[in-house]
Amino acid sequence: MPNHYEVWGVTMLKKNITKASMLTFADRNRIYILFIVVFLFMTLFAPRFFNVFNLTTIMRTMAMNATVAIGFTVILIIGQIDFTIGTVITLSGIIGLGLKEYIGFGGSVPVAILAGGLIGLINGLLVAKAKINSFIVTLGMMTILQGAIYTFTGGNTISLSSEDAFAVSDWLSDMIFPLITPRILITIVLVTAASIFMKKTRTGRNFYMIGGNKHTAWLAGINTDKYTISAFILSGVTAAVGGVFFAMESAAATLNMGTSSLMYVISAAIIGGTAMSGGKGGVFNSFVAILMLDVLYNGIILFGLGNEVKIFIAGFILASVVLYEAFAIYKHEKVIGQRPELLKELELQNAQK
Amino acid sequence: MEKTKLSDATDEGIRQIDTRATSVNLFSKLMHYAGIYAVALMFLLIGIVLQGLGIINSFLTTQNLLNILDAVSMLGIVAVGMAFVTYSGQYADLSVPTTMALTGIVAVQMLKYGFFPALIAAVAAGLVVGIINAVAVGKYKANPIIWTLAVNYVTLGVIRLVWVNKQIYPDMIAKTQRASDLFDSIYRLRFFNKIALPLLMLVVLVFILNFIMKKTKYGMQLKMTGAAQKAAKFSGINTERVIGTAFIICALTATVAGLTITSLSRVGAWYNGTGYDFKAVTAIVIGGMTLAGGRGSIVGVLGGVLIIGLMNNIMTLLGVGTFSQDMIRGFIFILVVGINAKSLRSMGRDDA
Amino acid sequence: MKKIGIILFSLLFMLAATGFVFAGGASEENTVADAGNLEASLAVDVSILKAADGQALIKLGGAERVVPARPADPSALPEEDPLHWWDMEFAGEITNKQNIPESPADGAIGKKITMIVHGDHPWTTACTNGAQKVADAYSMDLKIQSPNWDLAVQNQMIDQAINERPDMILLIPLDAKTALQQARKINKAGIPLILFNMLPEAAAMDYAIAWTGPDDFGQMRKLARVFADKLGKTGGVAYVQHAPGGSPYFARSWGPISELAQYAPDIKVLDKQAPGFEADKTMQLVSDWLTRFGNDLTGIFAADDSAQALGIIEALKKAGREDVVVVAAGNSKVGMDLIKDGGLYAITYQTAEGDGALAVKTAADWFNGLDIAAITNIPQHIITPADVENFYPPQW
Repeated sequence: MPNHYEVWGVTMLKKNITKASMLTFADRNRIYILFIVVFLFMTLFAPRFFNVFNLTTIMRTMAMNATVAIGFTVILIIGQIDFTIGTVITLSGIIGLGLKEYIGFGGSVPVAILAGGLIGLINGLLVAKAKINSFIVTLGMMTILQGAIYTFTGGNTISLSSEDAFAVSDWLSDMIFPLITPRILITIVLVTAASIFMKKTRTGRNFYMIGGNKHTAWLAGINTDKYTISAFILSGVTAAVGGVFFAMESAAATLNMGTSSLMYVISAAIIGGTAMSGGKGGVFNSFVAILMLDVLYNGIILFGLGNEVKIFIAGFILASVVLYEAFAIYKHEKVIGQRPELLKELELQNAQK
Repeated sequence: MEKTKLSDATDEGIRQIDTRATSVNLFSKLMHYAGIYAVALMFLLIGIVLQGLGIINSFLTTQNLLNILDAVSMLGIVAVGMAFVTYSGQYADLSVPTTMALTGIVAVQMLKYGFFPALIAAVAAGLVVGIINAVAVGKYKANPIIWTLAVNYVTLGVIRLVWVNKQIYPDMIAKTQRASDLFDSIYRLRFFNKIALPLLMLVVLVFILNFIMKKTKYGMQLKMTGAAQKAAKFSGINTERVIGTAFIICALTATVAGLTITSLSRVGAWYNGTGYDFKAVTAIVIGGMTLAGGRGSIVGVLGGVLIIGLMNNIMTLLGVGTFSQDMIRGFIFILVVGINAKSLRSMGRDDA
Repeated sequence: MKKIGIILFSLLFMLAATGFVFAGGASEENTVADAGNLEASLAVDVSILKAADGQALIKLGGAERVVPARPADPSALPEEDPLHWWDMEFAGEITNKQNIPESPADGAIGKKITMIVHGDHPWTTACTNGAQKVADAYSMDLKIQSPNWDLAVQNQMIDQAINERPDMILLIPLDAKTALQQARKINKAGIPLILFNMLPEAAAMDYAIAWTGPDDFGQMRKLARVFADKLGKTGGVAYVQHAPGGSPYFARSWGPISELAQYAPDIKVLDKQAPGFEADKTMQLVSDWLTRFGNDLTGIFAADDSAQALGIIEALKKAGREDVVVVAAGNSKVGMDLIKDGGLYAITYQTAEGDGALAVKTAADWFNGLDIAAITNIPQHIITPADVENFYPPQW
């Protein structure tokens, strides 16, 4: 009988609290605890951290990567990897702004998102049908897209300077109520919908099953190819959504605006508890992890510290999380095949001697 | 595509049980026997044909072929070392870029005490990173990609914290002109006025590492570990040590590459080596080493490195623009690896 | 336990609520100007400051800059025509300034300035050193932030700076075109803005008080002329380009190409490629060029005088083609050393410390109520083996 249960993705404890159950509680909710610790630390010590403007700034920064992380988390859950997210962000931004002149945002934004989906589809087909390792497919695709972006734009940053483009840009970045701008709202809605979908629907649960054990999932009648392809499409679409709205808010799309997102999102997903091996984690966890990292980075800037500190701390947190997880499995594997009751007997015998 | 039975399955019993698709085409046979050198040969032929048609000139000259080798020697050094990590089933070591930067900047800093202390310090720095990776991935089975990524971040942070975002110059740090000149010559020394030291180092490393991988007990254990880690463990192989050693080898070759790139660029800086992680993975995988581990060879990886060099050379000679080169490179990468995987599968060698 | 979760979340909620209540109080603190401040500020003499290379820290250039009339539609002209690049080269010459704050004219001493650069680089370190020297001379409170070449982070820093309400924001935009929305945002918040180093597109200049920095196109044209003279106005040249996505990519290849099309039309453009800032990749590229073009290749124009220049020179040495003339944009130690060694023929003198210093000096002038030009350039000079010693030691 497990002594914990879940409410909205947060693991809760039942009445009988033991040391073991507390540890499980801490382990299951570690990203929430980490977030609260970082947030409280910054609130107490970082200058000018805790006020509406700054918190909104954090939310704005979070918006793109949090959207991108939705699809990427699903990719990790099914046990694959997608290196194209960075270039898809850039591509969608460029398409979204570049075509605006001809078909307006009403046309260009869907086209940009479709392009992201199309790249996801190609990735998915190559992984599921041609059975090439996703590490290779997406690495190759990343190179192709990078070249395509440069060729397509001729090295030019795309920007908009018409009044209606500014109107859209300002609308996306203005607060509608505290902490929330339309772009943040879009992100939150998408994250919430995706978390509910992944946790509460059968289709969503099936992704976990594939990641846990692809073969078993296939035997259980799940069309693993279809799920793999849809995961890649989802990843392409969310990366495109994140990219195109960010570009619209900035009224410009640079040729490397997505580059830093790749490592950022991977780190966040892992810190959030999603495993590279698949079958574990959640969209909401990744969201909280991104928020945590952004709070951290924001605080570091407010302290007046440089990027070297930021890189070091980010690496340190990532390394600790990976080592912590690996160590837990290591300890678990060490006792596989051992009979604790026999060991106890042995201990007793030794004690009697 | 002709459909034949498994050509090289000698055991009748296996042939009957194995019901996987066994379509073998000419290309997959070629790939099977000649490995990636089939593709390398193809590129060489393309080059020769283009030269014959007069579209490009002086492709098949000693100078040009040496240029190709020179250009990829540093990549080769990184790739043959990282191949051990891939071979052991641990995908890749993404901490290579900052290992290169770290060893380079440490060496430059230690030039103050002379050339050889600098080399020793660089190797020590490389070993530290290697051992950290070895313990975490080998012993505690941390996910190699994420772990080495994290190490990459931490090392980068350390370099930038210690050297406060500065780059340092060998000729300003070295006390004696000799130390500075020796350091400068790591990249620039040439034998017979033709063969550069990095190229020589690559050839030597290929010989040594190929010997280790194919002829020694450790190599056999590595293959077993890469192909089936659990089975290897239960058959008494110390897989922890085997995987750990692979990471240390990788860190050491990265050290060699780090010294070379620092000598070439005459600055110790945190950004030296950027991009070598994915470049090396590309070379390794094109070279026929599968990410699943336990398959491929150092000689194959060298073939992959040569293909990258040939490809870049031919494209530049043709006057293909930088950006189109990227697209073509990515496309060929997926294609070659895809065909390789497919031919392995169709020969019943792989079920992935 | 459910309660723990509830308690933690309500705690957070309470914190958030108090935050909103006090939100307004965090900002809006103005330095009180006393009467003597302006006089004291005007008395500060920054012309005695020296940069690391022994040159005066603040030197003005741009005297020789000639601004031609803008053609009706520059983009319709061929790329080889210098006027095709008018909008990029002379951005800010025609402006329609919007909502520019009035100078308080109460003296620069004690002012709070936030400087946001583009990313970490030895150049940036030198630049911020220069800025700091001037800020110290005026006792200004200078806060420097670096977004590490990440647009999202730079936007965040701008938001944070707006939130803190400094007396002035100095910004190196990450890209000529992203500058527009950033400048608008700062302008809307009513904070004076000076852009520097990276020349943004014209529309962004409408929202800034001024721009200071190098005339990249201009100095590339100058370098191109020195290059052509050395080549005897004939031969074939290849261009190693800057990384795409930014004005240097255009200024450092199309600048010289369009200049040479007029100044030395006999010089042929053989190829142009962007191998990135890696010595080994550049070396491979140049080796391949030497194979491809043979003796037709007589000159190489590089966008970077450190890694790219090193790669070029290694490739030339290997092929025994030291006769090829190499010039490069930039002013690093590696480049200066290469000039001394004789591998490189010319580089551009572009003071990094002076770049940052000029921006702060312009800000100080504005606080002092002086008239400031919309565009101020740092001086241009082409360093050749003849005068490299005068510019030694390098700043980075």
